Amino acid sequence: MAQTLIHFSGHHHLRLRLVLSILSGKPLKIDKIRSDDKNPGLRDFEISLLRLLEKVTNGTVIEISVTGTALLLKPGIISGGPITHDCPLSRSVGYFLEPIVLLAPFSKKPFQITLKGITTDDQDLSVDLFRTVTLPHLQPFGISDGLELRIKKRGAPPAGGGEVQFLCPVVKQVKTLNFVEPGKIKRIRGIAHAVRVSPQFSNRMIEASRSILNRYIPDIYLYSDVYKGEESGKSPGYALSLLAESTTSVLYCAEAVSQPGVAPEDIALQATRALLAEIEKGGCVDRQHQTLVLLMMVLGSEDVGRCRMGEPTPRTIQFLRDVRSFFGTSFKIAPADPLDKESSQLLYSCYGTGYINANRTLA
Amino acid sequence: MEERPHKAHRPSKVDKGKGKEKQHGFNEKAFAPKSGRRADRQGRRNVERDQARLHVPLVNRTPDTEPPPVIVAIVGPPGVGKTTLLKSLVRRFTKQTLNDVKGPVTVVSGKKRRLTFIECNNDLNSMIDVGKIADLVLLMIDGSFGFEMETFEFLNILQAHGFPKVIGILTHLDLIKKAATLKATKKTLKKRFWTEIYQGAKLFYLSGVLNGRYPDTEILNLSRFISVMKFRPLVFRNSHPYLLADRIEDLTPREQVRVSKGKCDRTVTVYGYVRGTNLRMGTKVHIPGVGDLEMKSVSILGDPCPLPDADSEKRRKLSEKKKLLIHAPMSDVGGVVYDKDAVYINVPGSFTRGNNDVPQGEGEQMVMDLQEAGATLEDGVAKSHIRLFESSSKHLIVDADMDDDEEDTESSADEEASDDQEEEDDDDEPGFETDDDFEAVPQGANTGRLSRRNPTRTLPVASSSKLQPNDVDYGESDSDLGDEDDDDLGRRFEMEDGDALDLPDDEDENMDGDEDGDEEAVPRWKQNLSERAQALTSGSRRRKDWMKLIYSSNLTPEEVVAGKEEQMEDDEDEDVDNEDFFRIKSVAKREEDEEVDRSKERVNSEELKRLEDEEMLDSLRRLFITGGSTQEGQAEEDDEYEEAGGDFEDLEAGDGAASTSAAPVDPEASRAAALAAKKEELKRKFDEQYDDPEASKLDFYTEKKDEISRQLQLNLDEFKDVPAEARALVEGYRPGAYVRIELVDVPCEMIENFDPTYPIVVGGLLATEERFGYVQVRLKRHRWFVKTLKTNDPLVFSLGWRRFQTVPIYSLDDHSIRMRMLKYTPEHMHCYATFYGPVSLPNTGFCAFNSLGAETPGFRVSATGVVLDIDRSAKIVKKIKLTGVPYKIFKNTAFVKDMFTSALEVAKFEGANIRTVSGIRGQVKKGLSKPDGAFRATFEDKVLMSDIIFLRAWYAIQPRKFYNPVTSLLLSNKSAWEGMRLTGQVRREQGIKTPLNVNSTYKKIERPERRFNPLVVPKKLQAALPYASKPRAMKPQKKETYMQKRAVVMEPEERKAVALMQQIRALRKDQVARRKEKKSEKRAEHAKKVEKQEERKGEKVKERKKDVMRTIGKKAKRELDAEEGRGAKRRRT
Repeated sequence: MAQTLIHFSGHHHLRLRLVLSILSGKPLKIDKIRSDDKNPGLRDFEISLLRLLEKVTNGTVIEISVTGTALLLKPGIISGGPITHDCPLSRSVGYFLEPIVLLAPFSKKPFQITLKGITTDDQDLSVDLFRTVTLPHLQPFGISDGLELRIKKRGAPPAGGGEVQFLCPVVKQVKTLNFVEPGKIKRIRGIAHAVRVSPQFSNRMIEASRSILNRYIPDIYLYSDVYKGEESGKSPGYALSLLAESTTSVLYCAEAVSQPGVAPEDIALQATRALLAEIEKGGCVDRQHQTLVLLMMVLGSEDVGRCRMGEPTPRTIQFLRDVRSFFGTSFKIAPADPLDKESSQLLYSCYGTGYINANRTLA
Repeated sequence: MEERPHKAHRPSKVDKGKGKEKQHGFNEKAFAPKSGRRADRQGRRNVERDQARLHVPLVNRTPDTEPPPVIVAIVGPPGVGKTTLLKSLVRRFTKQTLNDVKGPVTVVSGKKRRLTFIECNNDLNSMIDVGKIADLVLLMIDGSFGFEMETFEFLNILQAHGFPKVIGILTHLDLIKKAATLKATKKTLKKRFWTEIYQGAKLFYLSGVLNGRYPDTEILNLSRFISVMKFRPLVFRNSHPYLLADRIEDLTPREQVRVSKGKCDRTVTVYGYVRGTNLRMGTKVHIPGVGDLEMKSVSILGDPCPLPDADSEKRRKLSEKKKLLIHAPMSDVGGVVYDKDAVYINVPGSFTRGNNDVPQGEGEQMVMDLQEAGATLEDGVAKSHIRLFESSSKHLIVDADMDDDEEDTESSADEEASDDQEEEDDDDEPGFETDDDFEAVPQGANTGRLSRRNPTRTLPVASSSKLQPNDVDYGESDSDLGDEDDDDLGRRFEMEDGDALDLPDDEDENMDGDEDGDEEAVPRWKQNLSERAQALTSGSRRRKDWMKLIYSSNLTPEEVVAGKEEQMEDDEDEDVDNEDFFRIKSVAKREEDEEVDRSKERVNSEELKRLEDEEMLDSLRRLFITGGSTQEGQAEEDDEYEEAGGDFEDLEAGDGAASTSAAPVDPEASRAAALAAKKEELKRKFDEQYDDPEASKLDFYTEKKDEISRQLQLNLDEFKDVPAEARALVEGYRPGAYVRIELVDVPCEMIENFDPTYPIVVGGLLATEERFGYVQVRLKRHRWFVKTLKTNDPLVFSLGWRRFQTVPIYSLDDHSIRMRMLKYTPEHMHCYATFYGPVSLPNTGFCAFNSLGAETPGFRVSATGVVLDIDRSAKIVKKIKLTGVPYKIFKNTAFVKDMFTSALEVAKFEGANIRTVSGIRGQVKKGLSKPDGAFRATFEDKVLMSDIIFLRAWYAIQPRKFYNPVTSLLLSNKSAWEGMRLTGQVRREQGIKTPLNVNSTYKKIERPERRFNPLVVPKKLQAALPYASKPRAMKPQKKETYMQKRAVVMEPEERKAVALMQQIRALRKDQVARRKEKKSEKRAEHAKKVEKQEERKGEKVKERKKDVMRTIGKKAKRELDAEEGRGAKRRRT
């Protein structure tokens, strides 16, 4: 039986498309990957990602054209188990973790994946945010027991040298989400880490951040997390990751990473303001995690799931379109409070596909 | 004698005061537990019994309102009376007599229940398909004959596919003449039936046939049972949509059929009620017996057999008119005969148009409606009898001052869409009548709108609309409000005037689709018109229709977010064919978003700058728990928001003007509503607690149940306000809807060899079920199947919706180390089987058959089991033993040959463990250069030249990729399907002898007896040996010994002495025996005595104990009384 091939052009949104293809089991063809670029074809991190996907699945066929500008993926089943992967230094570990987090709950064996490379950079979510924000987002979907991200070593760009281990349990079916109460912020947490620089840097960042945040609530804990020696990677760097939790356990997050020639105080202020901006936008899910939550809603049981969020980011919009071509599910997107003209918050509701983890082994 | 007086009545001595007749009401003591322990036990038992009664809470996806008809399958061997029963039941429910029953028959059985009867023929394929869809099975058994093999086969099929409810029906009982035999037969059959289903399963007895039907009272009883039966959702059916086709039509153009001589693939529509879960587009369906098919389109049709509606709802019973409703397109019912590709309408009696007393079948109705069309469409529009909605009372009027009506009817737009778009609608209308695509309007007349648009595209999410060049329309955002402000304003104020004005851009077709669904809230819409106009003048942003932007526009996501869509889109529309333009644009885009696949947003420094402002920071306090609503100025506004719709975040709180102007629509009303809702909630809570304080504390079971029902309610409510078509796209077609599914590329044989007596089941497939892979199942050969199953023999599986033939490999788990292949299935044991085929979810049951043919002797269900695992590779190994022989032996080392053929092979096995037959273990060391494949091996002991050395290894095997769907519905003789045959079968049928391999024949093994040479120690060596080590080999003595040589002859005295001694011994023996006997007697006597004594002693002890207990009891009672007295006292204080 020849299955319907789903066709895309361009290198954009590659990760989520690959994930959707593997989850839905529909073969995927992508062409015109940077075909007009000076350096055409797939980049090294994209190739590495494909390698990683090949490792975590069984029976996946990936064909890349000679020029590297076209890609055909015939997905197999997600097998999981103990895997080690060296990530290239062009992207951080977060780039690879993001698709893995989406795939891991639906594998045959629990995931125990070790990723090596850069743990924090300014393009993808850092491992701190993954641990403290992304993973708790899976909890309302019933993925919580044994879900863990261990930061073994930190690695700052450019040389990296970090190592994280991601453990994820296997679920049969994700629960339906009904999350419409954003609540109010009740606590703020943060991690300031500094590797191969003066440990004072993290304290300075905390001070600066507190100068803004102290006015709001007393429940603020900003940890200073200093790694030394072997565990601190190969390059110097520091960053501040902040998260705010509301009474209904909504998580907003923001972070800022060290830049050359910028004082740690400024980095901290940047992170803090970004967090406040995120809080101001509101909703039950912050902008970085929209796609994660929406995907899990699509994969839920055949019931109506609802979630209140801010306006979709470009990523989310493309994701919603892709979801429709892979799963045939479209969302109903309505203003969360129609009476109020000012509110930009939207209520996303969809009918879950009743996705059941077919890979799971029985006894 | 007679005068003797009768004995006077003596009243009984028993005090009657406590007699039964004096007691009133319930005697509490009678059932009270005797002791605390017993009370405890009783309590436990009750709780346990309660828990055992509960079932795992399962979600029932079938809606309570408007459920699909219950499928009642009538199954049984031929000649048992299935058709008679079906006719009797149909007559009972509809008062109509069917002559020729074909296909499913749907009737209304009650106010909330419809039934679809289907008769299952004796073909195994039909039985499998029916078993997968039937909600209730009427299993018919010939009472005069007993059970037949098909009955048991069917029950086993049911068991594998979820076991629906079964009612047994014994017929032909009138053939048993003797009452005693009848009773006995009933009893034995019932017993057998109960062991097969469950103890106490319902079994009906139908006596004889009267007038070609079963007796009315018996049928009445049966029908009552059927109409009140409750059904538990079955897991498989609760996760798959399916329908039982009650009508099928071929839509292929006749010309195409003619040209291809009937061999072209057909386009076919099937009709039926959706069951199970929601049927969604984009998934494939499987028709068992045909194959996987693509759904081209699905549409909801009017219910051909609707449930009674509100007016008849008032009475308790079904009205007589409703009773006549029957839907059986394949039978000759309701005047409609369905014959392959045509529908014949039979008009009973005198037929006149307008005679509404005669029930009209849908075909009749249709033809009559066609005849009714008296006026042309244009006239119709002119008369404007087009109503906007079925429910709306006013007709549409086409004239200048219709704008008000228009606005009224489509009022809902204020919630979702911007109002200026509506305005533009209105503007379009004057130019409308001259439009070319005017014909389209009547079709879309349900929308009731006279604007120009494509009626098929009423959905905001329709994919096709993407291609339409002029359907793009978006709300603008702040960014372009600057340039367009004046324009907007102008339009708005025009709208207030209600004046029509022709605007150049004709956008917003799509908007209408979602607007016209709801028709309430008219006054509100009008109320705040001016307010909103005001709001817009003050520069507030308009709300975007995200659904439309995302799903039915071809803007890039970035453009959607940036909100500059309108101009961009216009440009694109104009330059669709302008390739150059496109290229330049795309290149520019590419440069800008090279790193778009990043999860962290780029830091927007301007945005952050805004937050440096102290006031801004303070304004954020309200978002924190400590913030409260204490701020002045902002505070009241916040309160308003809070009450209006929970708390929410004000996006542009810093923008003072914006926030003040955008006041909620009607603060008073909404506040009042919120307050009312709050009060209601509080009242409900209070009532609940007051009525039953325990009720608020739910146990696990009730909690789960509540959760399920809440979710189901949410499912219903969430899309209530979405128009039906859009709703179908978002959530699919709900169970209970009567749909028409258009299937493409259907094999022509299905239509050509169509037979309505074979059920056509359309089963929806999940996304995973369309894939192929290796399926591992746990399988057990059925104990009634006579043969064992052999690895790599083809087997027909009925798994999920599918029936297919495949080649399984059986295996067993070998100490959790490996999956070891089995050549045959084990006896009375489960084993694993792995085969290649379509994937099914783990935990799906299946049954397997060696052959589906009717002529197969014996029980046909060969195995049953459940799916365990799905993978893309199989890890099954079988044992392989490589043997070799030593050709040179040293102390612990031996050179072995004949195991491998080359040095390379040896190299692969270096370090492998080897063993001799006698159990000496060793290791492969290194290959030798000569002879080829020989190697050096070391052993734990010296091996013999005669030893065979073997290497035990495991060889991985993969099941063959063979999948052969059972396409029984495509055959003219549906039961004649034949899959892949075994080699032996083919040889037998073609008369070919089995080729004989000479090496495989058994020959007599000749094993010459081994002779061992005697051990000879040289004389010289012997001499040198120490004495202890010298071989002691001596020749046997040849001459007789002294005793052997002599015979014994006794003297007379000697003889006497010997005799005497014998006698003495005999006497002694006798004496001992007698003494023993006596002793045992005495012992028995003693034992008796002791026993008696013990008994007496025991009695005494008992008495003593009784005494003691009595005193203790008295004492305890006294104490208790005393305590109660104290307790009472204490209570008083």
